[in-house]
Amino acid sequence: MKVIEIKHIVKIYTEAELEVIAVNGVSLDFDEGEFTAIVGPSGSGKTTLLNMIGGLDNPSSGEILIGGMSITSLKGSELTNFRMRNIGFVFQSYNLIPVLTAKENTEFVMNLQGKSKRECETRSLELLKAVGLEERVNARPAKLSGGQQQRVAVARALAAKPKFVLADEPTANLDSKATETLLEIREKLNRKENITFIFSTHDNRVVKKARRVITLEDGKILSDIKKNGSD
Amino acid sequence: MIASIAWKNVWRNKPRSLIVICSITLGTVAGVFVAGLMNGWVDQRIKDVIYTQMSHIKLRNPNYLINEESQYTISDYQQITSFIDTASEVKNWCSRLTIMAMATTSRGSCGLILKGIDPENEKRVSNIQELILPGGGNYFGEQTKLPPVLIGDKAAELLRIKSFRIDDRVLDSLRKLQLPETTINKLKQIADIRFVTDRKFKKALNSCLTSAEIRKYGPYIIDLAKYYHPKAKITFSFTNAKGELSYQTFQVCGIFKTSNSTFDQSSAFVQSSVLSMAAGFGENAFHEIAILLKNGDSDLIPFSEKLSNTFNNANVMTWKKMAPDAGLMADFMNFYYFMIMGIIFFALAFGIINTMMMAILERIKELGMLMAIGMSKRKVFSMIMLETVFLTLIGSILGMLLGAALIGITGRVGLNFASIAEGFEAIGYSAVVYPSISSSFFIGVTVMVIVIGILSSIIPARKALKQNPVESLRIE
Repeated sequence: MKVIEIKHIVKIYTEAELEVIAVNGVSLDFDEGEFTAIVGPSGSGKTTLLNMIGGLDNPSSGEILIGGMSITSLKGSELTNFRMRNIGFVFQSYNLIPVLTAKENTEFVMNLQGKSKRECETRSLELLKAVGLEERVNARPAKLSGGQQQRVAVARALAAKPKFVLADEPTANLDSKATETLLEIREKLNRKENITFIFSTHDNRVVKKARRVITLEDGKILSDIKKNGSD
Repeated sequence: MIASIAWKNVWRNKPRSLIVICSITLGTVAGVFVAGLMNGWVDQRIKDVIYTQMSHIKLRNPNYLINEESQYTISDYQQITSFIDTASEVKNWCSRLTIMAMATTSRGSCGLILKGIDPENEKRVSNIQELILPGGGNYFGEQTKLPPVLIGDKAAELLRIKSFRIDDRVLDSLRKLQLPETTINKLKQIADIRFVTDRKFKKALNSCLTSAEIRKYGPYIIDLAKYYHPKAKITFSFTNAKGELSYQTFQVCGIFKTSNSTFDQSSAFVQSSVLSMAAGFGENAFHEIAILLKNGDSDLIPFSEKLSNTFNNANVMTWKKMAPDAGLMADFMNFYYFMIMGIIFFALAFGIINTMMMAILERIKELGMLMAIGMSKRKVFSMIMLETVFLTLIGSILGMLLGAALIGITGRVGLNFASIAEGFEAIGYSAVVYPSISSSFFIGVTVMVIVIGILSSIIPARKALKQNPVESLRIE
């Protein structure tokens, strides 16, 4: 079942009166439960593509359908609401809320959705246990290592049961051990929750684990390889 | 959840938040205390106006108000007194004769309003009996050879029946108060000299003491060196009921001092029976009926209107009309206090906006992330608004508590502005102030603080809402 359908999207930026084509006529589909790595050199359009899929940026032309619904026509609070209910985000620099504990950070999106306190607590503890942080639920981000913070970020992204998770270079700031742990957790959660993961990355360890690898260059798809046996 | 995050955000940068909280606290303390001080002054003035000088309502002959001739006594006196005797709004009332007179002693003279009162009835309406000075006699208590008169401290000075003298008794008392021996020795230069006015005595003190000594010990020295001459005889000349000049000699039984030196200078109280006979007035001839109400100002207008409508031949005046300055203050002081607080909070608002702007600019990336993961602009706005309101509320609540404590302490012991007492008392204000403030003032300030907090959050919140999540997330 298709979770995301991208139909010939183009993104043009104007910088110093020059037009820069960041994404140039990309069409893609992503299936439920798929783990995709988008690779490519810096400036190839990975982050721009991810931002458009995540509804953070609008394409200059083309259409993006999530669960059959076009998000390119959504504006303002509709789009914010859509992101909250359907998309999980993991950022390169974790971006946890420093004044909240690991548990409170995980519950944050569920709270925004208006879930009950009990439901939030059960789900956040379940996810923090799944990412191996059951002992650190009450620790604030400043008291956690980079790898632990990224695991909390993954737990937060999954907490509200999104249709898919977008991760922009999630392992860029992590060491090998932390990267390995994060990938194992992703794999475990993917099996358990059947959520689509899309990572933009430079990291070969991520590429090796991905079932599908899309290579971008100059805003265009250079290759789209679906692997068997990975993961 | 938003409130919980906002509260935690307030404490992200503790030193910065504490500095803003301290400035709000100090501003609030200053505002509350100034309001308390002014309120204490105004309250005291209003109490003096009602309980010492005017009462709540006065009834007089309308003609008396035009030229104050003593022949214009109240018409329908019996009907009026029967009416107010049965009126549920009335707490107490009394009647007075008021005659313009010239008072003369062997040493001085001055013009006075001679008030003929029934001492027992007067006590129920006025507190003048509580204001007899120590060493200044008593309230119509002691038998005198001549009819007794109660005069004010300032009139006593003008009639030269008050003087100042440094003698051994005064010097001993000052030693007991542990004044330095050097100061006491300096005072010996003016020992046993009789000064007949405040001004002359103060001038003598200035010549022998330093200004620091006067500032520190002056009020004690003046108080101890003061001598009254009770039982002094005063002859009053006045126009009687027939329009002829009459004389009557009285003997001072007591000297009072209110917070209004003009009242002290111009009022003297005698028994109405004596004055009535001396001036040739018949029974039940009075110039004014003073009424004290049970519920104070809440019955003031309705009852005065009721009296006006019932007795067309009497002029009915409320204390607010008789003392318009005090009336104006009673009506507008609350507005004035809130204006003071408003100005203070307006100035503080700039500091709050600046702090919040810094807090927002430091968190641009985080705010971008919050909007990216689904926090609506309304919630972001609410969060920043609540942070500002919390910051403002903490400071102002602390300020109100400290201000209330300061008012509580100074309200009990009083603040003595003795060095500028003359000026205050000349315009009817006490030199000793007992700051006070009502609880409704604090409720009003709390509402004001919340409004200021909300208004101060608008600029920082707008700044936050203008951020594009994608651009904010790119910030390193």
